[in-house]
Amino acid sequence: MLALWAAVRKVPTWVFPAVVGLVVLVLPSLQPAYEVTRQIQLTLILALVVSGLNISLGYSGQLAIGQVAMYAAGAYTAGLLSSAGHTDLLLQIAAAGLAALVVGIVTGIPGLRLGSWSLAMTSFFLVLLVPDIVELFAEETGGHLGLATIMPPTIFGQALPDDAMYYVIAVVTIIWFAVFRNVVASRHGIAFQVLKQSPVLASSVGMSVFRTKLTGYAIGAVPAGFAGALLANLDLFVTPEAFSFHMATGTLAASILGGSVSVYGAIFGASVVEFGNNQSSSFAEYALVFFGAFLLIGGVLLRGGVAGLLRTGIRRLDRAAGIWPRPAPALAAGGDPATLPPIEGGALEVKDVAKAFGGNQALRGVSLRAEPGKVTALIGPNGSGKTTLLNLICGFYRRDTGTITVAGSSIDGASPHRIARLGVARTFQTPLIPPGVSVAEVVISGRYTSDRAGFLSAVLRSPKFRRVRRRDLARAEEVLSLVGLAHLFDIEAATLPLGQRRMLEVARALAREPKVLLLDEAASGLDEAEVETLATVIRRIRDAGCAVILVEHNFGLVLSLADHIVVLARGGVLAEGSPAEIESDVRVRDEYLGIVEPGDEPTDEGSATVPERTAR
Amino acid sequence: MTLIYAGLSIGAVYALVAIGYNIVFIASHSFNFAQAQLMMIGAFVAYAGYVTFKLPLVAVLALAMVVVAAIAALEERIAIRPVSDHQTQLITTLGFGTVLTGVAQLIWGTQPKEVRVGVEPLSVLGGRTVPIEIALVVLAIALVVAINIYTRRRMGGLALVAMSQDEEAATLRGVDVRKLAFAAFAVTGLLAGLMGAVMAPRTFAITTLGTALALKGFVALAIGGFGSMWGGLIGGFTIGLVEQLVGRYLETRLDAHLSNLSIFVVLLLVLMIKPTGLFGRVQERTV
Repeated sequence: MLALWAAVRKVPTWVFPAVVGLVVLVLPSLQPAYEVTRQIQLTLILALVVSGLNISLGYSGQLAIGQVAMYAAGAYTAGLLSSAGHTDLLLQIAAAGLAALVVGIVTGIPGLRLGSWSLAMTSFFLVLLVPDIVELFAEETGGHLGLATIMPPTIFGQALPDDAMYYVIAVVTIIWFAVFRNVVASRHGIAFQVLKQSPVLASSVGMSVFRTKLTGYAIGAVPAGFAGALLANLDLFVTPEAFSFHMATGTLAASILGGSVSVYGAIFGASVVEFGNNQSSSFAEYALVFFGAFLLIGGVLLRGGVAGLLRTGIRRLDRAAGIWPRPAPALAAGGDPATLPPIEGGALEVKDVAKAFGGNQALRGVSLRAEPGKVTALIGPNGSGKTTLLNLICGFYRRDTGTITVAGSSIDGASPHRIARLGVARTFQTPLIPPGVSVAEVVISGRYTSDRAGFLSAVLRSPKFRRVRRRDLARAEEVLSLVGLAHLFDIEAATLPLGQRRMLEVARALAREPKVLLLDEAASGLDEAEVETLATVIRRIRDAGCAVILVEHNFGLVLSLADHIVVLARGGVLAEGSPAEIESDVRVRDEYLGIVEPGDEPTDEGSATVPERTAR
Repeated sequence: MTLIYAGLSIGAVYALVAIGYNIVFIASHSFNFAQAQLMMIGAFVAYAGYVTFKLPLVAVLALAMVVVAAIAALEERIAIRPVSDHQTQLITTLGFGTVLTGVAQLIWGTQPKEVRVGVEPLSVLGGRTVPIEIALVVLAIALVVAINIYTRRRMGGLALVAMSQDEEAATLRGVDVRKLAFAAFAVTGLLAGLMGAVMAPRTFAITTLGTALALKGFVALAIGGFGSMWGGLIGGFTIGLVEQLVGRYLETRLDAHLSNLSIFVVLLLVLMIKPTGLFGRVQERTV
């Protein structure tokens, strides 16, 4: 049985949906009942709308849920074009897509500056406005009575035969889902999920949050526009009642039921909802209750929807059949897993930087320099300003005075993603790892902006895209071998224990060959063996030429690893020097390490008395 | 002036929705999309009690409060507590609200139900109004004052605010966070039942009420700022007045239903210009 499963799994996964698509195309030749073809057509149209929701809500994590308004925009655009004499279907579909795109971006604007609730409510409000806007232009749109002046569609001047709409709908849907699938099953899909996990994380790997969100809204809006054009030409009638809040709730329910973070889940969810809609009118009364129940159950229990359940089931069978996880990829001949190819590091120079939050002076005139090929450690008690300094370097705060330069270029006022692209990479105190992606994909997300392949090449799977993908995988293998995680290539990253997730963050930071690497308390929470491994990895990174900045509390690790130590206290630099100098510096002991025994000789010059203190 | 009274009274309804949102937001930093639907249920229970069963006024109010409080408690258990992140909470509360609308449709149908409280119109300061309109405005203001006093002077209220600022710290100080969040939700239900019952004569009990109130109540919230009671009040009155004025002066000219559009424009303006609202102490989560 499992052998059969293994054989089935050898077939590329896209073959199965392709077969379903083929079946849909071939179905009319079997002379099915009218209800069946109508049901399928409506399901496919709804699936297009739901797929848009999956992109913006599921993959990008944006509560841009007003797809129904874009659906309406598409339908009326197509309808109005047709009424005006432009009956070419392809023109209408393109125009509808464009109209939906504009609506999608405009309604997405609140989401660019604000949070999810404002975005959700604004997009829902738009759905509420559809009948009002239609009524406002009642002369052209036919108002609440509907637009009945739509003429039969043509393609390239040829009138379409009656049953040809079925094929048009099927072909458009198949093409769109192929595009959708190609986008999310590529580095762009990973990028969306990175954005969904945390915009801070997205900026730190160089992604422009603004542009990525806009792209998410745009791609999520377009299929709804296509769906509208198809609906208008299917029934030759458009009425605002089709775009009600009831419909919006149904679309959301379909997305959640099928699985928001899935491609084909949209089709499944749409088929269930459309099936329900088509039942007897007594069912229609229960429709709202069902939609609400889907949303409740989907949100609370069925996280990931039916697609999520299927994925878990498939993984279980794969594991039982021994075909997953795949064995670690063979290393390229001659490659030494223990060393990293040289990286062109850059010096980080912080000059006289000050930052105050209201009345709290977090940093006062701090200067430091981190050389490439050296480990510079930044230590100090909590509240000394280490995190503030780190966030200033990464661009999450603006400094009040002073300059910060990376390899000679000033980062003056640059946004976090630009600074990341200048070559500053970092890890986080709590590892930010998106769920649902593999270890290799996490590393690949680190190079999203350093090696580019646009959406179009992803959709077409062009040679350029394949080259970039090969480089992605090669680099992932390389850095994962360095940090010792190569055997976990395919494992879902979010399931790893803390120590491995820390190392994974280091690997992701290395993916784009950064000039400066900032490690934010990378050793906290690790046991001794893991700290040793981390130290070894940091040494290799240093030897490769990167400028490593280590923010640490683990003094032993700092002493053994650092070439230069900077001690911060109460917002200013207390001392700096080599490990030996710092270790014996009385001021450092006093301020940070805490114990000064009465019998200790003062080793620091100029210190008059050594106060007796108990260990802090 | 009649217009002003109409605007203030419907504005009071929006403000009441915003107050409900605010209480839940202060208590558990979550957004209860079903708030307006809870009020809608209150309106229907008031209809059932007053018109169908011909109960006395006080009994009707009490019944509405108790029923909606029970439903709100249920919502807290199944739609809010099991869900940890806020995006999903919007979806689960939306789901719960949708179920409420569906159930209301099943029980009472889709036609508006009139709750006639049978009192004569009054003439106040040159404008005509009905006592229920005045009652709504008074109720909204009274609630805001009462809540503000409660959260500033009473232990329970202070604990609530403490909990919303830092849940861990509140727990360490002995605040039973779970119970308090649950209690806050139940109280929201109690208030929603009262608000729904009082608004029923003005807005009628219709199942489509829930969504429109939910969205416009959110605009009131956005204008006033998340977490600010007075802000919600002012926001509500603002959009109530805008709606009435637009309806009277623009709609008759252009013969179209513009009030929703005008409120949407107000929403966009607020979100673009002052996203935290007029009195927003709490910035809405941007990450």
